[in-house]
Amino acid sequence: MAVAIETRGLTKDYRSPLKEPGLWGGVKSLFDRKYKDTRAVDGVSFTIQEGELVGFLGANGAGKTTTLKMLSGLLTPTAGEALALGHVPWEREASFQRSISLVMGQRSQLWWEIPAYETFKLNQAIYGLSEADFRTHLDELVDLLELGEHLSVPVKKLSLGQRMRCELAASLLHRPKLLLLDEPTIGLDVVMQKAVREFIKAYNARSGSTIMLTSHNMTDVVELCKRVIVIEKGRLLYDGPLDRLVERYADHKIMRARFTTPVDPADLKAFGNVVKYEDSTVTLEVPRAKMAAAAAALLASYPVADLNVEEVDIDDIVRRLFTNS
Amino acid sequence: MSPYWVAYKIALQETLQRRSTLIMDRLGGFAVVVSLYSFWTALIGDKATFLGYTRAEMLTYVLALNVLRSFVFTGRGWQLVGEISSGKISSYLIRPVSYHGYALSLDLAQKTVHVAAAIFEVALLAALAGGEIFLPRDPAVWLMFAAAVVMSSLLFFFLEFMVSCLAFWTSESGGPLFCFELFLQFAAGAFFPLDVLPLALRRTLELTPFPYMVYFPVRVFLEKVPPAEAMRLLGMEALWLAAAFTAAMMVWKRGVRSYAAEGG
Repeated sequence: MAVAIETRGLTKDYRSPLKEPGLWGGVKSLFDRKYKDTRAVDGVSFTIQEGELVGFLGANGAGKTTTLKMLSGLLTPTAGEALALGHVPWEREASFQRSISLVMGQRSQLWWEIPAYETFKLNQAIYGLSEADFRTHLDELVDLLELGEHLSVPVKKLSLGQRMRCELAASLLHRPKLLLLDEPTIGLDVVMQKAVREFIKAYNARSGSTIMLTSHNMTDVVELCKRVIVIEKGRLLYDGPLDRLVERYADHKIMRARFTTPVDPADLKAFGNVVKYEDSTVTLEVPRAKMAAAAAALLASYPVADLNVEEVDIDDIVRRLFTNS
Repeated sequence: MSPYWVAYKIALQETLQRRSTLIMDRLGGFAVVVSLYSFWTALIGDKATFLGYTRAEMLTYVLALNVLRSFVFTGRGWQLVGEISSGKISSYLIRPVSYHGYALSLDLAQKTVHVAAAIFEVALLAALAGGEIFLPRDPAVWLMFAAAVVMSSLLFFFLEFMVSCLAFWTSESGGPLFCFELFLQFAAGAFFPLDVLPLALRRTLELTPFPYMVYFPVRVFLEKVPPAEAMRLLGMEALWLAAAFTAAMMVWKRGVRSYAAEGG
């Protein structure tokens, strides 16, 4: 299998002007500007094979988006090297740009006042797709993303979910070999998140494209990615299979129970680690292996009105990963 | 099909889609023309000429201004500023397409709609004014006027593009762009013919590219520039255009480099 992405010591510093507070500070900074360098990505090295679907995790400001921007050629690194599909991304060769796509959940390339179909036609011309290829690719995307009637409605009249799907379609019309997705499910409702996830999975399977995806949504990562790369404060912390990450760092699940009458939280220690007790509702950390038994025992011994079990928040796992290292 | 042609067609659709914006824009421009016209009519009064302009010539100047405003002073500066500060520019930078080619296509679409509207308005006003306007008979004059106007429009496009690129370095580029446009319209003769100004000031302005944008083409149209002089000035305008293009491209390249260094 060929290598799709390879980075070595990828580093990025941002330079931002320092401004003293107040009007006088503003005037001073006009003449004597001081800068502060912030390291957003710090010596990150990894290799991704063609066709892999890799989750890229980290808290806000960890350097995920910066890395994706370097890999798509939007940013030049301060130090280090990267090759994506055999090209140095920030040289922005047309042949490289024709084979990648970067989708940012909060940015739009669609024309606002007119139907998304027009943006698709524009991308057809930009990427030099023949009419036949355009039709085939579009039909496939319309089918996978269930776009149908949305294509002929002005973009401003679409819901966020419909717009995000159109956005994905616009970014995939040219069948990029490398797809960089930054928070593709952000702001979507649960049903829409699922639809987008299923689409990404199907697209990866069907096209064999390499996909790198960042998300705050653990479900996205769990359902899509076998492998994850975790960064924190710009440094690579973990690179390996997801199941090992979850086992190693999230050895427990979160159980929440609401009782019909108040109970003594001290008694609840038997079921797991009590994180919080408030308004007759308890939040417990329970080891994975003991979860079923603990839930059954709790239901049997207390007047439970409502009970649910959740995975640990991804940010929690990442934080744990960070403190453990 | 060329992406620029497709972009042109889409932008045309979008401009027509925003009907109320278009109508407001046109009404605003129309108000300017009517006030300028009333102002100059009052100044001329009973005199045969004023500052070397007959009543018909002055009316023609004012009406030509309406068309030139729509053709020359459109540009994509504000959009560029917005796209840089919002980061939307990224979506162009990662696609295999030239941003200025794309911006020019969109600008051309705007111009198409606005010039069509301006010509309609001018015809209406000319009819209301009793057909008292100056039209050159010599086709060569029309040709020189057209050449001057096409270059003016590109000159404005690239100068404005260059100033808008400030947004790559500062989030406060709107102010400079606004001042620049205001000064440029004054120096171009878009408020009044530059003959109104003291000679020294006019001579100084003539050393800049600005008078080529409105004052010069309209004077060619009014046959106030002898043909040989007009040809020389067209040559000068072409030089200014080449300079503006080169400068705009240089600033753009540096801007994109700094955008790539500082983050989008």
